[in-house]
Amino acid sequence: MKKALLNFFNRIEPDKKKQPLLHTAYDAFFTFAFTPNTVTASKEVHLRDGMDLKRTMVHVVLAMQLCYLFGTYNIGHQHFTALGMYESFFAGFHLKLAYGLIKLLPIFIVAHVVGLGIEFWYAAKKGHAVEEGFLVSGALIPLIMPPDIPLWILAISVAFAVIIGKEAFGGTGMNVLNIALLSRVFIFFAYPTDISGDAVWVAGIEEGVSQSYGMVYGVFDGLFGALGLDQFGSGGVPVVDGFTGATPLSLAFQGGWENVTKVYSESAMFWGTIPGSIGETSKPFILFGAVFLIITGIASWRIMVSMILGGAVMSLLLNAWGATPFMDVPWYFQFYMGSFFFAMAFMATDPVTASSTNVGKWIYGFMIGFVGMIVRVLNPAYPEGWMLAILFMNVFAPLIDHYVLEANMKRRARRATATA
Amino acid sequence: MGEFFNVFIKAAFVENLVLAYFLGMCSYLAVSKTVKTAFGLGLAVIFVLGITMPINWLIAEYLLSENGVFGMDLTFLRLILFIAVIASMVQLVEMIVEKYSPSLYNALGIFLPLITVNCAILGGSLFMVSREYDLTQSVAFGLGGGFGWFLAIIAIAAIREKIRYSAVPAPLRGLGMAFIITGLMGIAFMSLMGIDPAAFASN
Repeated sequence: MKKALLNFFNRIEPDKKKQPLLHTAYDAFFTFAFTPNTVTASKEVHLRDGMDLKRTMVHVVLAMQLCYLFGTYNIGHQHFTALGMYESFFAGFHLKLAYGLIKLLPIFIVAHVVGLGIEFWYAAKKGHAVEEGFLVSGALIPLIMPPDIPLWILAISVAFAVIIGKEAFGGTGMNVLNIALLSRVFIFFAYPTDISGDAVWVAGIEEGVSQSYGMVYGVFDGLFGALGLDQFGSGGVPVVDGFTGATPLSLAFQGGWENVTKVYSESAMFWGTIPGSIGETSKPFILFGAVFLIITGIASWRIMVSMILGGAVMSLLLNAWGATPFMDVPWYFQFYMGSFFFAMAFMATDPVTASSTNVGKWIYGFMIGFVGMIVRVLNPAYPEGWMLAILFMNVFAPLIDHYVLEANMKRRARRATATA
Repeated sequence: MGEFFNVFIKAAFVENLVLAYFLGMCSYLAVSKTVKTAFGLGLAVIFVLGITMPINWLIAEYLLSENGVFGMDLTFLRLILFIAVIASMVQLVEMIVEKYSPSLYNALGIFLPLITVNCAILGGSLFMVSREYDLTQSVAFGLGGGFGWFLAIIAIAAIREKIRYSAVPAPLRGLGMAFIITGLMGIAFMSLMGIDPAAFASN
């Protein structure tokens, strides 16, 4: 399959001199699928290589598409079920999809305009080609935001992450902390009421249906009316009083696993028809993306496996301790709740901020699982641990690499002296 | 034992002297250019904190307090006595390092004697007094605080080694970057802030 694709590309390659424009276009698509053959050629040993990142980025974005599809629909689904309408999953399909789009698109557009704008400006200032590094961060950021996040807060956080977290370090591929997580953690500490608590995970609860973006709803209503479908209506939908969109995690924190299953069934948690950040709820679609990333050789399976191991070991230890109901949640159910798999598939495996050595990846992943479970279960201040655990280990990743390399050098020096 | 563990974890991770209180910044910023020297200085800080804390505890408890040997409130002497203890311990470390690792001694240069005025160390002793730790707790706090400082300095040293060849904008190279990294590390360390090991131990 890989060979057939490569043959196909070789066959259609245009002549660079005769058709320069066509060749540029060809090159753009070729580097989507394959990394170019140019490598850093010299005799020294390299830990990192200045390779073309485009293939890596495009594949990560592709792997996220199912999460986007499901996330968009789930925004609408959560909204309408909270209002007590269309409670079965596929009822009111067009309304849920339209509502999700109305919520998601502005977030997506603002994240990209701000992030790419800054990146273009820096590229022009520094006089090099645009690095496209924001494509992945920009695709990840909407997925980890609550659907009702105010757009100005989003803009500030993206600007902070891109300027301080990336451009200050020298641009794409040189950042130390994960950009998408940095923008989320910025909101988390600077505007906590907009990204934590029980009320923010279901969109449009306080405003009913058609208070904001009124005109947009009107356009959709016109369209649906012409097709003879249900309409949003003109503000007649009741605003829900006393609604709590408690997530499984906050329920578990209050009363353990039984308290969770009272509200959410296991299959709902598995398929992801629960409130949460936009793209992190649906486990099958995320795992599909994870498998895709492993097959294409983008993400490290070592990090994923060791992260599951770390989380399992820590939750087993907590089971043994069992001081609060949350600690008593069986370890395999811990993975049903929260954003573990999303963090594992798309955040921890970020090749720039993770450890680069293979041994380092095992340690790095294991510690993320371990620390993340500690933060989730033991820290009453934060509902979920993976974002903070990954940032925490991002800080230590260069240190892990340093000692792994040093141990390797020592071993080889010993072998060299032994044979000499 | 449980109490020892609690205070240790809290001092090392939850209330890290560098990344939560921003104490001991001068040597932290100056010596963190390579992991090797940072490692040496970190060990020295662990040693000095771990030794001075119980000694200062004994001084505060038996010499300076009203129930002490002199039977009167001598707390106005606290700062000067603490510094004297710290300075003599640092002198001891300096002699040991010079004897056993001259290369590290040369690499650390003026920053080894400057541990004396490293605010993390005096700060540790003063925290100990104001939080009314007992002897075990103060040993744990000294070792834990030192370990936290050690972790922070080797982590930033590894990051600074890694970004040495990055295209950092010229005005930010060196200390500017070190400050930004420290701030970002502070955010990352906030993950553990708020955990109270003691709250679970009693159950």
